[in-house]
Amino acid sequence: MRSLLVRIFLAFWLIIAVTIGVAAISGYSYSERLREALENFEVSDSLLEASESLRSGGRKGLEKWLRNLPRTSPMNIYVIDQRGRDLLERRVPFSIVQAMRRFGDRDERSRRPPPDSDTLRPARPLTRLIDADGRVYTFFVVPNRGKSSWFNERTASYFLIFAIFLSAGVSYLLARAISNPISRFREATNAISAGNFDTRVTALVGERKDEIGHLAQDFDSMADELQRAWQQKTELARNVSHELRSPLARLRVALELARRKAGDLPEFSKMDNETEMLDELIGQILDYSKLEARSDELPARFNLTDLVERIVEDVRYECRASGFDGVKVELAIESVLNIDGFAPSLGSAIENVVRNAVRYSPADGVVSIALRQQASLAIIEVTDQGSGVEASELDSLFEPFFRSRSTLDDKSMVGSGLGLAIARRAVQKNGGVISARNIGGGGLCVTIELPVSA
Amino acid sequence: MAAELLIIDDDLELTKMLQDFLAPDHLDLTACHTGEDGLETLHSREFDLLILDFMLPGMSGLDVLKELRQRSDIPVIMLTARGEDIDRILGLEFGADDYLAKPFNPRELVARIKAILRRVQPSHGSDSKHVLGPLELDARTRTVTANGEPIRLTGTEFEILSCMIARPGAVVTRELLSEQALGRRLLPYDRSIDTHISNLRGKLERAGVSDPAIISQRGVGYRLLPKE
Repeated sequence: MRSLLVRIFLAFWLIIAVTIGVAAISGYSYSERLREALENFEVSDSLLEASESLRSGGRKGLEKWLRNLPRTSPMNIYVIDQRGRDLLERRVPFSIVQAMRRFGDRDERSRRPPPDSDTLRPARPLTRLIDADGRVYTFFVVPNRGKSSWFNERTASYFLIFAIFLSAGVSYLLARAISNPISRFREATNAISAGNFDTRVTALVGERKDEIGHLAQDFDSMADELQRAWQQKTELARNVSHELRSPLARLRVALELARRKAGDLPEFSKMDNETEMLDELIGQILDYSKLEARSDELPARFNLTDLVERIVEDVRYECRASGFDGVKVELAIESVLNIDGFAPSLGSAIENVVRNAVRYSPADGVVSIALRQQASLAIIEVTDQGSGVEASELDSLFEPFFRSRSTLDDKSMVGSGLGLAIARRAVQKNGGVISARNIGGGGLCVTIELPVSA
Repeated sequence: MAAELLIIDDDLELTKMLQDFLAPDHLDLTACHTGEDGLETLHSREFDLLILDFMLPGMSGLDVLKELRQRSDIPVIMLTARGEDIDRILGLEFGADDYLAKPFNPRELVARIKAILRRVQPSHGSDSKHVLGPLELDARTRTVTANGEPIRLTGTEFEILSCMIARPGAVVTRELLSEQALGRRLLPYDRSIDTHISNLRGKLERAGVSDPAIISQRGVGYRLLPKE
């Protein structure tokens, strides 16, 4: 993004600077040629008339000729008499005065002016005319600079530098005008990828009527579509789950009525278990879709240590009640930590991870949970003594309905497959990160990292 | 133990099957399918217990409960969607006695109904009266007074208080409270006792009772502690 700005800026500036340079050089050489042409042709033309006027009218005739010269000419012709005065009593330019001073010098070249003082360079006498009485009239041609007499080669070079800097500024603004909206688009795209589906780019680039404005509108209507599709998806999941529950509720009652009539057949218990599992699955789909849906809920501060303690207490109870009574759940708390977040969703995340650890533990295994602070992060580590997960599967562990290949044929390991997916969603919602790794000697360690509140 | 029950649930099929299921236990179930209808029926007849579905079309179960609690202390079991913790917490806060996640095991429903009905039967024990500070609890009339002023408690709150007032200063575990007050074992992830406790605290505070106070024992339970 920065580099685009720099590239466009440099490209524009280079082009403008080269253009200025070329224009300056060609303009300068053109003006030089023009001056020469004027000196050579226009002036020499009029010199014939001057010489004629002098011959026929003497000094007066020459003055008359001089007075009648067109004012608009780019060249001023000065005619200086032997006393150094202009025939028309005009103020004599300094360069002519200089030239007149060294009039006697035979060798003009030996006293060339220093190169930098262009304006002070002595004027070159164009020609001299001598009248019948032997009086000498020296002709000077001085470029008529008119009002722009301040415009000389030095100020021109200032101008050039100024133009280069100005063009740098303009190029920068132009480059930024292009790259800035692109950055805004990028921000919006990132926000949408992060799940903020109500991000609209028109608000970021402003109401514009140009191509960028059109692109922003198109982008926003795309975002509208995306948001609608997303909402439909989550609402569908919720509605389907809700609707599935009513028949399930009736099924359970019907099942009990049947059991009462037909006696307690083992098939009824099986059906009971299956409906319960179906119910759990529906519940998890609901939890998951609820976490996917954006809510206006605001984060609140809560005590993470309390939350973890309570969950561990519950899981211990659950272990005793549900046939995992050999599994020991150990808790090591190093620090009491507060978190700004959503306690219910984070609770369900930790709960799912711990339950998962219990489920994959050997019958007399130990699940150890550690809570500690590291810099500004709260770290919860849940370690089991199960068989771990293949390294290639570590990342997919948190995908919905992922099941490790090693547990595919083990029916006792059947969970809904959403527990860890829920955990990841919930941890993300709380601004944290969840990851898993195998530990030496077998077992899986799931780590939850959360920002601690200041 | 014959009892008159009312269920408010929009699922006709379900209520019909429940009527069949509860009949052998002498639990006579009347069914209403909207909140308005249910409130009217409750107004016109006496019931021993209400089963209230929270997901009603139109007037929600919570609204029914709020309105009902203004005039009646009838025991309420609410049916909530599993996972909708907010419903459950709100329901308990607004005075429901217990809850069941739908779809429920109907045998569990029967157990809960019986537990609550058994509990609200007036007891005839000799130690039916407890006094602690300004608090006076009469188990026979199921009344509680603070400085002589009666405090209105739901059945569950009454049971919790009577469980604790019988053991002043001692820690009463959440397990025991669940068994005594809700008539069932404590379930994992079950916070209903804590919600009932916080409701009870609120009511005691509003009645001006700050001594004795209900103290939390983290990870264990609660105790009703008189000051020094």
